[in-house]
Amino acid sequence: MRPSLANLFQTTTFRLGVVQASVVLVFVVVLLSYVYVATIGQLLAEADRSAETEFRALERVYGAGGIRQLTEEIEQRQSRRSDLVYALTQTNGALAAGAAFDLDPPPGADPQRVEFRYRRLGEDGAVLTPRARGLQARLLGGPILVVASDLSAADRISARLTGGLVTVALFGILLAVVSGLLAARQAARRAEALARTTREVMMGDLAARAVVRGAGDEFDQLARGLNAMLSRLERLVHATRSASDAIAHDLRTPLSRQRQRLEAALKHPPDSARDRSALLAAFEENDQLLTTFQAVLRIARVETEANWTFSPVDLSALAADIFDLYSPAAEEVGLHLDAAIVPGLACWGEQTLLQQALSNLIENAFKYVPVGGRVRIAVRPHGPDDVEIEISDDGPGVPPEDRERILRRHERLDQSRATEGLGLGLSLVKAIARLHRGELKLRDGQPGGPNRPGLSAALVLPRPNKRTP
Amino acid sequence: MRVLLVEDDTGLAEHLMRALQGDEHEVDVAHDGLSGEELALRKSYDVIVIDRMLKHKNGDLVVKDLRAAGVSTPVLFVSALAETEHRIEGLNAGANDYVGKPFDTNEVLARVKALWHGRNPDQPATRLAVGDLEMDLLGRTVHRRGRKIDLQPREFRLLEYLMRHAGRTVTRKMLLENVWEIHFDPQTNVIDVHVSRLRSKIDREFDVPMLHTVRGSGYRLEV
Repeated sequence: MRPSLANLFQTTTFRLGVVQASVVLVFVVVLLSYVYVATIGQLLAEADRSAETEFRALERVYGAGGIRQLTEEIEQRQSRRSDLVYALTQTNGALAAGAAFDLDPPPGADPQRVEFRYRRLGEDGAVLTPRARGLQARLLGGPILVVASDLSAADRISARLTGGLVTVALFGILLAVVSGLLAARQAARRAEALARTTREVMMGDLAARAVVRGAGDEFDQLARGLNAMLSRLERLVHATRSASDAIAHDLRTPLSRQRQRLEAALKHPPDSARDRSALLAAFEENDQLLTTFQAVLRIARVETEANWTFSPVDLSALAADIFDLYSPAAEEVGLHLDAAIVPGLACWGEQTLLQQALSNLIENAFKYVPVGGRVRIAVRPHGPDDVEIEISDDGPGVPPEDRERILRRHERLDQSRATEGLGLGLSLVKAIARLHRGELKLRDGQPGGPNRPGLSAALVLPRPNKRTP
Repeated sequence: MRVLLVEDDTGLAEHLMRALQGDEHEVDVAHDGLSGEELALRKSYDVIVIDRMLKHKNGDLVVKDLRAAGVSTPVLFVSALAETEHRIEGLNAGANDYVGKPFDTNEVLARVKALWHGRNPDQPATRLAVGDLEMDLLGRTVHRRGRKIDLQPREFRLLEYLMRHAGRTVTRKMLLENVWEIHFDPQTNVIDVHVSRLRSKIDREFDVPMLHTVRGSGYRLEV
């Protein structure tokens, strides 16, 4: 969906752009208005002043030499000064000197401000009717004197300024809209790119990612956040998918087997001894199923990183407790269980899961180490940031090329072996290690004689102060 | 003992009801949270066994509201939500014990009894005595018929738990949870070995055995 013009007008970017441009525009208009008022005001004040000076001077000429001298004086001055307009009427009202124009109302004896238009010829011969303003008064004895400044210069400047102001305003508005639209379109494109990514994900493409342009701007930040979220989501969805596949796989086979057995038992005529043994077999199988189900569920919960509450766990104490729990059982099956635990080592984790991981590793050793063998629990620092908890034995071990394989689900090294096992123990330990941002390492253990390299399974876990993954 | 059972699966409720009745309890059954809560408020029970996921009102809420209403009857949660965090949530809601589904019927029966007997702990005892077996909790010593028995710290805790529940069956799971604080099922039968060692210390040199194995359930300490 391309952003349409109507949509652009609704965008935040556009609105912000317009608001910002309007603020600038208002500022410019205020500034120009000030310039206008100041300039025109100054020009008018000067015009008034020079008209007044001239009026006073001519009043004095009249006082000294009467109408005759005043007439001469005006004619003289008229030819000298183009910025002033003069008019003098005789007592009977006839024009004695200067320009002709209508004066309304007829003035009194006190000088009075007037403003009017008059006619004159421009330099190119055209008839002009500029504005003028000045003073007029009826002089002693009846003649009327008018002296005014021609305002054409001030009016020209005023017209230019007004024109400029209107142009700036119109242009500014246009500029604001256009730049707002451009910015909005730019932003809308990037927002649309992000929105497209979310749509792709909603349509089921979990691998879709937003483009990061590398500008480091807010859209890049948003895109990075979105991508990180999508990666985690994708990982969890895959984990959940493979978990439900695993549950289906782990439970279908034994369930079908149980069903066949029950079906076979039902086919025969009732026979209490045989029925009972069929029931017993079904009962045992059911228990086995529940155990498997529990284990698979737990792996799934660990792999999908459900809400485990982590806290600092005293690994040394935990290992000592597990040692204490298992050592009588080890003796019972003819194994030597010993411990080499550095005290006071903690990790950041979930107590029950770590207990379970450790107990799975020990029970694994119990299964594979022959009678008389040795199993050791060790807890020690591993580098400055990690703690290692290791179960090592002197049993048959696992060849290096098989170590990767036995960590996968349902892999037991020797499938024909009679030992009861779910094949889920090690994958749970591995999942627990991963949940703790740690590692499960398999290597040779304590050498126990010919063909007995032993196996060591070590969990490397971050210490509490190394909390951030 | 009067037990209120709140469980929405009718088949399971029926089964548990019969099992509890077989253990000589009087049982009322409710199949949803609201009617369960109503019963618990109206009548008085010795123990309440309640599922967490129920129709109309979930078990957590029922227990919280009962506690708020001043009902202090011990509560045993029975739930398919069986991970550690579920357990903690359930206990935080005000329950006294927690069993994950699927469970062994004997497990529930043993815990119901333990809850009832454990509900009024006497004054913090300094001595426990079962028959001629005596435990000094302050001096951490154990005597039988006046003869001192040396125990490892863990054996001491194991015996203490058995003595506090004397005369009643305790399951392996209860021992794992309360003595070792382990909330998962080890594949190896680790508990039996510990118990048989303890038995050899307290029973071997005496003519009357006190620590009995209850087939299919667990252990019982009694005279």
